[in-house]
Amino acid sequence: MFEVEELRKKFKTTTAVDGVNLYLEKGESVGLLGPNGAGKSTTISMMSTLLSPTDGDVRYNGKSILKQPEIIRPVLGMVPQEIALYEELTALENMKFFGRVYGLSGKKLDNKVAEVLELVGLEDRKKDKIKNYSGGMKRRINIAVALLHEPEVLIMDEPTVGIDPQSRSYILEMVKNLNREKGMTVLYTSHYMEEVEKLCDRIYIMDHGQVIASGTKSELKSILSSEETVLVELQQKQVGFADQLSELDVVQKVIEVEQGFKIIATKADQLLADIFDVAKREQVQIIGIHVQTPTLEDVFLHLTGRKLRD
Amino acid sequence: MLTVFNLQWLRLIREPVLVFTFFGLTIGFVFFLAGSQGSSTITIQTFSDTLSEQEVAVWLERLNESDTYTFNYNEREEVENELRMSQISFALNLEADNYSFLVGQDSHFIAAANQHIMQTFQSYLRINEVNAQLTDETVSIEHYVQSDVKTLSTNVSEHDEMGLHVVAGMTLYFVIYTILFNLSNIVLEKKTGTWDRLIISPLKKTQIYIGQLAHHFMLGMLQIIISFVLFHFMLGYNFGTQLLTIVAVVMAYVFSIVALGMLVMGLVRSSQQLQAAIPIVATAMAMLGGAFWPLEIVTNNILLFLARLVPIRYGLEALIRTIVYNDSLLDVIQPVSILLLMGVIFMGLGINLMEKIK
Ligand SMILES: Nc1ncnc2c1ncn2[C@@H]1O[C@H](COP(=O)(O)OP(=O)(O)O)[C@@H](O)[C@H]1O
Ligand SMILES: [Mg+2]
Repeated sequence: MFEVEELRKKFKTTTAVDGVNLYLEKGESVGLLGPNGAGKSTTISMMSTLLSPTDGDVRYNGKSILKQPEIIRPVLGMVPQEIALYEELTALENMKFFGRVYGLSGKKLDNKVAEVLELVGLEDRKKDKIKNYSGGMKRRINIAVALLHEPEVLIMDEPTVGIDPQSRSYILEMVKNLNREKGMTVLYTSHYMEEVEKLCDRIYIMDHGQVIASGTKSELKSILSSEETVLVELQQKQVGFADQLSELDVVQKVIEVEQGFKIIATKADQLLADIFDVAKREQVQIIGIHVQTPTLEDVFLHLTGRKLRD
Repeated sequence: MLTVFNLQWLRLIREPVLVFTFFGLTIGFVFFLAGSQGSSTITIQTFSDTLSEQEVAVWLERLNESDTYTFNYNEREEVENELRMSQISFALNLEADNYSFLVGQDSHFIAAANQHIMQTFQSYLRINEVNAQLTDETVSIEHYVQSDVKTLSTNVSEHDEMGLHVVAGMTLYFVIYTILFNLSNIVLEKKTGTWDRLIISPLKKTQIYIGQLAHHFMLGMLQIIISFVLFHFMLGYNFGTQLLTIVAVVMAYVFSIVALGMLVMGLVRSSQQLQAAIPIVATAMAMLGGAFWPLEIVTNNILLFLARLVPIRYGLEALIRTIVYNDSLLDVIQPVSILLLMGVIFMGLGINLMEKIK
């Protein structure tokens, strides 16, 4: 339904998006995961006709929207990364304005505004100015104004950045319902892998302007199926211990974490025994050892050698 | 388009402080300058060798019915003294059915004052005659006096050009602030992202721009017209008879300033730069364009050339001509056309520059 082909965007000094391919099927919930600066926002800016690409094509129902943005505009709901609202106006005024922009008016507008306000749980605060809202409430209204015209596709750019856990799970639940119950197609951008993991059927992982992996959650994790992740908790961290571990044939990466070290290694029977040997030699005291199933975070780590966020 | 237009007013009503400040400054400055200059009343020292003190007092009262002049009684000796010292340029000598001037140095006020004094004398002398003949016909007498007063006030306004220059100059100057600061909302909208929301909506870009610009245009018009109405009713400034032409001139001027604002916004990179640029642009233009002092006193050719490039010069020229000399739109079509042309050029450049920054 919605396809991106060899999309590229060059700015003066950087290539923000470098040959991205992706697609959304009707009713799907797709995640776009990647660290800050990966090119996620630039990609969806081009998908929403805000930026024109340097190269490549974006098609909706088979037709290119680059020359004909009016194909996508009325049916697209876009939740920008920043709070794009009139702060000095109330939530109600903001919603009515953006509703009118999408051609709603009169009773229909009033009903839709009331419905969406209830959906985002801000019915009773609708007469407050946006600038008096908490971060979580702002985020919810930021989403609400994109829902008034019942979009076929909803693109969300990091809609949960910088808010409290309650607001966050409220928003996630809401998006899940929009997708499951109303059949809305969702493209959800984030650098929180647990959000994407919870919400999305399929996932694209982006880094440095490119899609480095894509597929369903299990497909992505099968990248790591021949590997395992072991978390070693230590009394006291020691660099020598990590160095020794890296020397082992089966170990691919050793990453320092809060409690100790995380080890990514090819599945092998003797790994745990080897770890204890090294500990003995280096006189490090192990207080716990966990063999973990891989997360998307681990997938990203495996693909790039870096963590998704600091 | 109307949606965008209406929204801007709603936003203005919610945060009106900035606009009200500049509106208040316009009014405040004009009140202050009009008060301190006192340019609208001229004091004339008056004495008499032949009339009694009571008779002089009666004439003074009649002469002082005009707001433009203040006739002040003084002894002949004192008056001559002031003339010698060049403290005054002329004085009025009242006689029974006649009057004369004592002139120290030539002043262009003598002619105007003479007209006023002559009319006062004629009307009162004639009223006396008529009164003596027909004691009942008061109606026709009042009518006669009224028609006299009218010719008087048009004459007076010619000599009030300096005062009107201040009024028009200040009004045109401060409206630049109002429009430019209000226009910076567009830059802010681009920063907060509401602009982008509109761009990806089904609205056309032209609808968004026209809705925005129409709002800033109307705001500028309102500020100027309300200022003029206040100056007329509170300070007694006379704006002549060509009121529709004044509105047309103001429209052309406001359009050129809105366009100039778009150009400035196309040139600056951030809203901080814009905040700094606005006062510089407004003040430099007002100085060059003669809002603070008449261009007649400028002799430097470079400055005079630069003056030709700023809209405020043409706005002022056209306004003064319509207000003071009752010129019609046809008479001021040249400066008005220049304003419109400048507007079109600035707007074209400005929007192109703004669209390029992406
Ligand atoms: N308008 C722009 N001009 C120049 N560089 C930009 C612009 N927008 C984004 N970039 C650069 O492109 C890269 C990708 O940015 P972005 O798409 O915002 O990443 P993400 O949303 O994944 O954090 C970054 O290096 C950013 O600095
Ligand atoms: Mg981003």
